[in-house]
Amino acid sequence: MVSELPTKNRETGVRPPGSRRPRAAELALAPIAVLLILAVLARPQLVSLLDRPAVANWATVFVAVAVQALPFLVLGVTVSAVIAAFVSPATLSRVFPDRPVYAVPVAALAGAALPGCECGSVPIARRLMSRGVTPAAALTFLLSAPAINPVVLVATAVAFPGQPEMVAARFVASLIAAVAVGLAWTMIGRGDLLALATRPAAPSRHRPIQVFMQTAQHDFLSAGGYLVIGAGAAASLQTAVPRSVVDMFAQSPIFSVLALAVLAVVLALCSEADAFVAAGLKQFSLTARLAFLVVGPMVDVKLIALQAGTFGRAFTLRFAPLTFVCALGSASLVGWWML
Amino acid sequence: MTPLVGGTTLLLVGAMLIRLTVTDAYQRYVRVGMGSWLLVAGVLLAILGSVAVVTALRGTKDEDHPGEEDHHSGEEEHDHEHGDRVGWLLLVPVLALLLVVPPALGSFGVDRSQVRAAPGTSAVFDPLPAAAEPRPMTLLEFDQRAFDRSGQSMQGIKLVLTGFVAKSADGNGFRIARYQIACCAADAVAAVARVSGATGAAPTRDAWFIVTGTFKGIGADGVPEFVASTVQQTPAPVDPYE
Repeated sequence: MVSELPTKNRETGVRPPGSRRPRAAELALAPIAVLLILAVLARPQLVSLLDRPAVANWATVFVAVAVQALPFLVLGVTVSAVIAAFVSPATLSRVFPDRPVYAVPVAALAGAALPGCECGSVPIARRLMSRGVTPAAALTFLLSAPAINPVVLVATAVAFPGQPEMVAARFVASLIAAVAVGLAWTMIGRGDLLALATRPAAPSRHRPIQVFMQTAQHDFLSAGGYLVIGAGAAASLQTAVPRSVVDMFAQSPIFSVLALAVLAVVLALCSEADAFVAAGLKQFSLTARLAFLVVGPMVDVKLIALQAGTFGRAFTLRFAPLTFVCALGSASLVGWWML
Repeated sequence: MTPLVGGTTLLLVGAMLIRLTVTDAYQRYVRVGMGSWLLVAGVLLAILGSVAVVTALRGTKDEDHPGEEDHHSGEEEHDHEHGDRVGWLLLVPVLALLLVVPPALGSFGVDRSQVRAAPGTSAVFDPLPAAAEPRPMTLLEFDQRAFDRSGQSMQGIKLVLTGFVAKSADGNGFRIARYQIACCAADAVAAVARVSGATGAAPTRDAWFIVTGTFKGIGADGVPEFVASTVQQTPAPVDPYE
């Protein structure tokens, strides 16, 4: 008894020395075990909850958003971990010029090379920053990658058969919006907001493969947690907001653009799927649907949660509105010009 | 999260994805084509988690907490970044799928996600050849043909439709619906039809039916009408979407 007391104190206070760790770690598994037991005990209640159609609808959409995003998150986390473990800052600085004026357009076009949706690009952008890429360029990459990669453009072409101008307009408007946000950030952005993400990683004494594993684990756990929050928000909004509210806005030309931009934020669709939904919103003008396609991959409730977790709340509070305005403006202009 | 807890969480998420794929239950939530990607992601996460658990249990003599090393220096100034504590939330979908497995989308969302095909904007179809056997058709194609020149292309052709009951009493019969998904259940849109004719007693909502009959114009509310000669209840298909 007596000999155990100091050990306990140390475990609750300062991190215990290496020799004690396994035991502390095993204790830490207790909450998972308790959670599992509680959940099994509560199972009848959970099952009867699902008899309510609204709850079942919420649960299905929640699981669907989380599950379909997980492979893309795994891809993004893998790329991020590869950058952390195997790509030196020197290599990155050759790809991305130091001066933001050049780096931003390069980053916008580099986004075309990442075939994924928006969940994957958040950890990558953060990793780029911590490896010395200028923040404005990393943010531009964050915005352009999910919007203009080949998979998304092909999906858009399939969803709008016989309307190639829709694909072109999406590409141009997304590129303009991403570059505009990047340049705006170089002028009005505050470095301290991104201090967390830009702080260079401490030089590691581990072998690259260990760095890879640790980065992947950590990135997945934190991004995955915020993804769950975002999926919950999207499911709640989809279940609670009635269609009639959406239809009401469809009538006015100006409100319809704004309404679909807001709808894109609320629905939080995967950028590889949003074109199919936009194609179905036939009561809205093409420009309004373009706004839906440009805003969605850049700002939505799931992304806001992910970004707040990755870059910090103070940053996201400024970045999300800035992006929304740029995306909306770019979509309106390009829609007026091309559609 | 300590390495052991984090690793266990990764292992559980990976196991959930693998289980979803091998049981085909994933088809309730995402497009069928996503299955192999889910499996790959599940296997990768399971490997990553196993390595973390094994490393942690071996109690390596590293002073560092693996996975947290690039956060130590910032923890004092940025208290919103508690590393990956938010990772606990990943256990929510894991538990939900382990214990209850939410159903496929049902009649609840049909009204809000219904296809609103405006006449003239949908695809143009060639007329179907007359055949002795009734022709199976997706509800989506049925709706698209209905809105293409008032359904000329399938006038008088015997069709077989499969869907779930969205409204048990609708006009002289009931309404069936089926969702199409592009990526996951969050982007589902529903195609609907009103079934009249040999419908019998009003069916229960969300029950699945195979109906055989012919197209008969579009109702005043924009729902295509279907006159059934036979109506047969069926178990829900493994892939509930079109």
